Amino acid sequence: MSLNMNNQTKSQFVAVASITSELSAVMVVAKEISLAAANAKAIAFRAGDKAKGFQPITDFINELAKETIELVTSINVYALSLYQLTVNEYRKTVAYNKFEQVTKMSEGAAYAQSMQAPLAHAQLSMQLCQRQFKRDVKQLLDQLEAVMHHARAARVIAANSRIEASQAGEYLQSLQAVAESVDKAAHTIHDNVQRCRIALSLYRNS
Amino acid sequence: MKMTKIYEGSHQWIMFGRDEHKPANIIDSNQYAVRTANRCLLMEPGGSELFAPMMAAVLHHAPVEQITDLFASHQDPDVISSLGLWDQALSSAKLHAPALWESFLRHFGCESIEYVPIPDNGGTIKLDSVELQLIPAHYLHSSGNFHVYDPQAKILMSGDVGAALEAPGAPMFVENFDSHIEKMRYFHQRWMPSNQAKRAWIERVRNLDIDILAPQHGRIFKGDDVKRFLDWFDTLQVGTAV
Repeated sequence: MSLNMNNQTKSQFVAVASITSELSAVMVVAKEISLAAANAKAIAFRAGDKAKGFQPITDFINELAKETIELVTSINVYALSLYQLTVNEYRKTVAYNKFEQVTKMSEGAAYAQSMQAPLAHAQLSMQLCQRQFKRDVKQLLDQLEAVMHHARAARVIAANSRIEASQAGEYLQSLQAVAESVDKAAHTIHDNVQRCRIALSLYRNS
Repeated sequence: MKMTKIYEGSHQWIMFGRDEHKPANIIDSNQYAVRTANRCLLMEPGGSELFAPMMAAVLHHAPVEQITDLFASHQDPDVISSLGLWDQALSSAKLHAPALWESFLRHFGCESIEYVPIPDNGGTIKLDSVELQLIPAHYLHSSGNFHVYDPQAKILMSGDVGAALEAPGAPMFVENFDSHIEKMRYFHQRWMPSNQAKRAWIERVRNLDIDILAPQHGRIFKGDDVKRFLDWFDTLQVGTAV
């Protein structure tokens, strides 16, 4: 049992570290969306009436990118505290396993009994860390769901953008490129966040 | 883990070592305890691999709550990488270790244990009525390094000075000094960097009344072998890798 917990703790390190890595990629893509929005706004301004329907969409894309960046920034802070929690849990688990070894090895020693209090304390600390980790994972999964929601919204906007772009005459190609870029970015965000969720969901009910 | 009582008086000195279950690829080390009426000091408590057998052995002599003090002569992992585990086992203990190494040693985990930094010129540890002296041994081999002298028991715990690279299960005490020399020579020439530091230490230690010189590796020196060791070390050129 102890060995399994140890292995699980080690896998947690990988899972939590992978979140930070995936999220940094999401951040890059969200910034790209923001840039695409600025570009689209400039094109829509030049296109004037021909891209009238496109103008509010650019504001919406920009807003969505900003919100995604803010959300990912806050999730990153959270992921960092989850990493610290994993370090603590690892330390507590190692200590608990060692203390168990001590109790076995000290059988018959005059003061063997005195190890019971540290052993019980180590077990409690380890269990508290494990519970806290599960709680934090659940919250992080909820936050990641919010990013997924943003990514889905971005894809809908991209579809609308394509329709609006088709009525923009000579600006069609430029605006379609913007729509493509938003769609691609939203796709990437969706995939990256989905990988985070899969990595973490292993620990939600473990 | 073998236990040998090396002094019994108003207090006790116990040496722990020659652990049969130790992985073969880690260096064997000697750990020491000073046990007084209500307290217990563990010197060079060892690496994290050694924590469980060491703690189990100590429980033959003291309950956990009376392990009140730890001492680390320097920062090496074989000396004190178990700190993070002692930190979780002991509810109120102090670690006496070089001030120079405080921020480094804290990497091993030191949250509940109080770090008592030893200044460069040394200090003391008081355990009930026993006062132990912390003797500077800088650059032997670590840049911030101390040994523990007990004037009552006339024991000097000399860290890496006097250490020898031995086969597993070697005797606890030096039996034939001349044949022991070759087991010590490389260790001292290669790990000790400074002839100047060596001379300063020998001068300081010659002024102490020592019956037992107890290193962290290898065998313990008793009686005349202590002087023999100091004389031999005095003539040895160290820092030979450059």
